[in-house]
Amino acid sequence: MHHWHWLIVIYLFLGGLGAGTYLTSFAAEKGWLGNNSHLKRAGYYLAAPIVAFGTILLVFDLGQGLHKPWLLIRLLFNLGSVMTWGVYILSAFIIVGLIKGYLVFKNKTAPGALTWAGAVLALATCAYTGLLVAVVEAVPFWNTMLMPFLFVASALSTGLSLTALIAHFIENEGQSSIREGQAHLGIIAVELVIVAMFFGIMVSGAKGSAGVESAYLALFGPYAPVFWGYFIVLGLLLPLVVFGREYLKNKQFARTVTTEPSSIRIETAATAQGHQASFLNLATDVSVLVGGLALRALIIFVALPVWDGRIL
Amino acid sequence: MVSKKRVLLSRRQVLKAGAVTTLAIGLGMNPTVLKADTGKEAPKSPNQIGFLYDQGKCINCKMCAMACKGANNWEEGTEWRRVLTGGEDNKHYLSYSCNHCEKPACAQVCPVLAYKKRDKDGIVVHNPDVCVGCKYCMYACPYHVPQFSPVTGRINKCHFCYQRQDNGEKPACVAKCPTGALSFGKLSEIRKTPGAVSQLEGIPDPEITRPSWALVAKS
Repeated sequence: MHHWHWLIVIYLFLGGLGAGTYLTSFAAEKGWLGNNSHLKRAGYYLAAPIVAFGTILLVFDLGQGLHKPWLLIRLLFNLGSVMTWGVYILSAFIIVGLIKGYLVFKNKTAPGALTWAGAVLALATCAYTGLLVAVVEAVPFWNTMLMPFLFVASALSTGLSLTALIAHFIENEGQSSIREGQAHLGIIAVELVIVAMFFGIMVSGAKGSAGVESAYLALFGPYAPVFWGYFIVLGLLLPLVVFGREYLKNKQFARTVTTEPSSIRIETAATAQGHQASFLNLATDVSVLVGGLALRALIIFVALPVWDGRIL
Repeated sequence: MVSKKRVLLSRRQVLKAGAVTTLAIGLGMNPTVLKADTGKEAPKSPNQIGFLYDQGKCINCKMCAMACKGANNWEEGTEWRRVLTGGEDNKHYLSYSCNHCEKPACAQVCPVLAYKKRDKDGIVVHNPDVCVGCKYCMYACPYHVPQFSPVTGRINKCHFCYQRQDNGEKPACVAKCPTGALSFGKLSEIRKTPGAVSQLEGIPDPEITRPSWALVAKS
């Protein structure tokens, strides 16, 4: 009983990914990812094109997308529909993202309000992709308010990974900092907690038998390899171990080099040791992306309706 | 001095994790609606009409579905009315179509406003000419009523033969039912039928959309 297929899965993934890359560069610009971060620009270039491409996929999925495209203007009509909210959010984000990306590319200063508007819209974009499914009462597996939080966490994680990957290849300016790994570690930890809570709620039966069955499909059923292999191991545990190890190493390193209690000294020492773009880090970033796509696929494909269409 | 402590978890971190966890539980557990006996409740709108189905009278002849198909030219791949078979003896049936719900989830989620609930009688009419085929309603409806035609790329569903009703005729399905198992009327009236309920075993909680139907279960 799946009405949505791969195009929607990829669209949900790209919506989060594009929003995540914007937020990564936004955080880097604000200095939250260390001094003179190399992630200041790449995410801004990626954001709008990725979300726009996802939106095109969405149009292809519509029954009338290519048949009567003029009907699509009506997607703005029902202000009570989360899908309508999404169309407004995506359109605004693509426009703001394009302008911001262009200004960054031209080395011009973007107005602070524009940059902030983009960040708010980016957050709205990734939260919306989760809210779209969360409001569907007839699909218990989707119907929890944890869903938007899960989507936001995954969007931040995949966005950070893709930006780091691309920056590694195209960026000559700036440097990487241990803050990146720390931020990613925090995001992954929160995502793991949300996933655990989410499956706890489903398996407990709080959302009814369809919720339990959906969770079982992912945990033990035909989707178990995707769930455990791609999502849990590649998307969460591998980055947790890689970033966690780095974090602990840096912490110890910072301690050993510090003989006097100078916080600046710790910072410099740690940065020097740093979050170096090793092969392992790049591979981890790719595996985070795989996990993000697997999560969207699972959410769409294991969702069972509240009623299987049979009478007892 | 270098700390000898090997435990890297600070109190602050534990508190933070605790706060996140609590927030997560709070957000995840939506308050469940207290179950009301929708079957006996007076409908919100006095004009609401609905189908009345008597399971004991149904003989599974499927005349209702055929009459509907003939009258409404179902677009390929869609079924506006279905007759389900179940029960231990495989002799329990359910003929159903759109329930023209009091809280129609299809209309709630439809981004293009293709669904309209008529004030006059509460019929939920879907206009295929403005439907973009996003299929959101197919997930939202607990009864799998909106159906997508891959041929026309849009949704189709039962509209209670509203044109026939506007001309004073009965819906095609009701008109052709030979045993009187399927009838229709004001929801406030049909709910008074002895034994009428709004949910059979295994069928979704009526609180989700408040379907405008009355069912008399076979014993």
